[in-house]
Amino acid sequence: MSEIVVGYDGTEGAKAGLEKAVEFAKALGDKVVIVFGYAPGGYGGGEVRAQREAAEELGEKLTKEANEIVSAAGVDHEIEMINERGAEALSDVASKRDARMIVVGSYGESPLAGAVLGRTAYKLVHVAERPVLVVRA
Amino acid sequence: MESAAVPVEAGGVAPGDKGLKSGALGYLSNLVIGVASTAPGYSLAATLGFVTAVAGMGFHAPAIMIVSFIPMLLIAAAYSYMNKADPDCGTSFTWVTRAMGPRLGWLTGWAIVAADVIVMATLAYIAGVYTFLLFGLDAAATNTLDISIAAAVWIALMTWICWRGIELSARIQYFLLGMEIFVLALFAVVALIQVYSGSAGLHAVHPALSWFSPFGIPGGSTALIDGVLLGVFIYWGWDSGVCVNEESDNTSNGPGRAAVMSTVLLVLIYVVVSVSAQAWNGPNFLSNNSDDVLSALGGKVFGSPLDKLLIIAVLTSASASTQTTILPTARTTLSMARFGAIPKAFGRIHPRFLTPDVSTITMGVVSLIWTLFILNVSQNVLNDSITGLGFQIAFYYGLTGFACTIYYRKEIFKSFRNFIMVGVAPFLGGLLLTGIFVKAFHDYKTTSTVVNYTGGIVGIGTPVAIGVGLLVFGAILVVVSNFVYPEFFRRKRETAPEGFLEGPATGPAVDTVTPE
Repeated sequence: MSEIVVGYDGTEGAKAGLEKAVEFAKALGDKVVIVFGYAPGGYGGGEVRAQREAAEELGEKLTKEANEIVSAAGVDHEIEMINERGAEALSDVASKRDARMIVVGSYGESPLAGAVLGRTAYKLVHVAERPVLVVRA
Repeated sequence: MESAAVPVEAGGVAPGDKGLKSGALGYLSNLVIGVASTAPGYSLAATLGFVTAVAGMGFHAPAIMIVSFIPMLLIAAAYSYMNKADPDCGTSFTWVTRAMGPRLGWLTGWAIVAADVIVMATLAYIAGVYTFLLFGLDAAATNTLDISIAAAVWIALMTWICWRGIELSARIQYFLLGMEIFVLALFAVVALIQVYSGSAGLHAVHPALSWFSPFGIPGGSTALIDGVLLGVFIYWGWDSGVCVNEESDNTSNGPGRAAVMSTVLLVLIYVVVSVSAQAWNGPNFLSNNSDDVLSALGGKVFGSPLDKLLIIAVLTSASASTQTTILPTARTTLSMARFGAIPKAFGRIHPRFLTPDVSTITMGVVSLIWTLFILNVSQNVLNDSITGLGFQIAFYYGLTGFACTIYYRKEIFKSFRNFIMVGVAPFLGGLLLTGIFVKAFHDYKTTSTVVNYTGGIVGIGTPVAIGVGLLVFGAILVVVSNFVYPEFFRRKRETAPEGFLEGPATGPAVDTVTPE
């Protein structure tokens, strides 16, 4: 049994990604690992605790939502919250667990914007050491 | 085969494990953040002319750069130690709340937000003017409507960037900051060479040792204190580098050294640039061009097209400064919301960007309104608002100093180091800033246009009306908030845990916003 790491932030793209992850997990007999990176967004260089706490709370809410979806599908799963930014969080968890793949959603936005804005899916395909599956919403 | 969800803390992937985030780069990034958040290029462009224009300043602007730094250094100790106990993004707001109670804490939060909103007007103004100058649109650079439009676009863009949580890569930041420092240094060197070779301005003067002395200023202590109030503004933001990111570095020495280095670098930049700037064509030239000193001088010292370098340096500096204004403000209100001191909505986090979105956008909108208002009232009101800012900064920095001594009061006498670093230094910093506040209040409350740029509002000097007036308004809001958020205002004062400063460094003293 291997593991499939999936990012979930409650958006349409993330839902599509989660569904696909569940589908693969069922077919392959894998476990789904729902990952949420709660490191606060924006320029660092200061103390960010309240922001991180808020992000963590949000993460708990969102992963609970994902948990329900995966539970309903009857797939073995786990939640991992990690103090890193989205793409790094997914990539690191996947490497640590030697996951079969990482699944994330995408919104079909402009590739240039994706590069400039550092969108998770865009960044992930470049930093991840494990295979990445990008699912379009 | 269903299993319960087990939240697992990140195991072997602590941030410190990643080569890039610790060690040498951590030190360098702390240095960069320290210098960048003070934005030397922008600070000089915005304030140097006002410092030389203080009545009776004479040639002593460089002395102001040195003297203003002293209270900031003392307050930095307070920042560093309070951050150790409570690394919260509410900074002074949380620390003053814990040490001195919710009322003063709330007022501190208010002062931070008010100062940040006010500074946005001058930031956006400088950004607008210098953008036009960069493209040779000199007519637009003096047209209020054009400047207003540029300023509005600037604020909207910067707010959007903060809302999206976009960060420049570390490498780009180093490049931009490196360029800023290089250009400022080049400017200073070229200007001085021209001064000594006789090719500088008509009113060029050779630098003299007396320029560095706070004694013998023609205007005496009044000019000194009034200058220092502006100087406090120049160094404002420097604390960001001091309270180094808890996650960037776990080693105890790195951040400290970076803070010291960035400080030395800053003082050096300010002193050297102010010396060469006033040597090139005399201080009066700076006073007469106080709105855009660096572009006025740059054109003459560098000539075209090299003068554009200086303009670009000011622009990158202003953009860094805008970001380090919007984001910390948004984080302050986020923290206040989580403390239950202001409406909960300000504590909202964007699900994808994980930034405080309501706080960020509110900050953008409020500062946009303020900026358009002040730009269209008059240029002189904008000038006076910079002086006014000094009051708010002195207020909350001063309280932060006192808060540190009070919070650690039981630890002060445990070692000589504690006595100096958490006892004497922060308290003295607080006293100095209080003194500056009071003296400057007396000097600037006049409606005389010799001291101020405008004749005052409702019979009181504009800097005081804006600076102190908003603090008084904040005090009224505290009274009102007492009824709306009774829970917050019932908070008890806290002190540092027994022996917190002794022994090996452990985690922060307080883990959450809730009191024990």
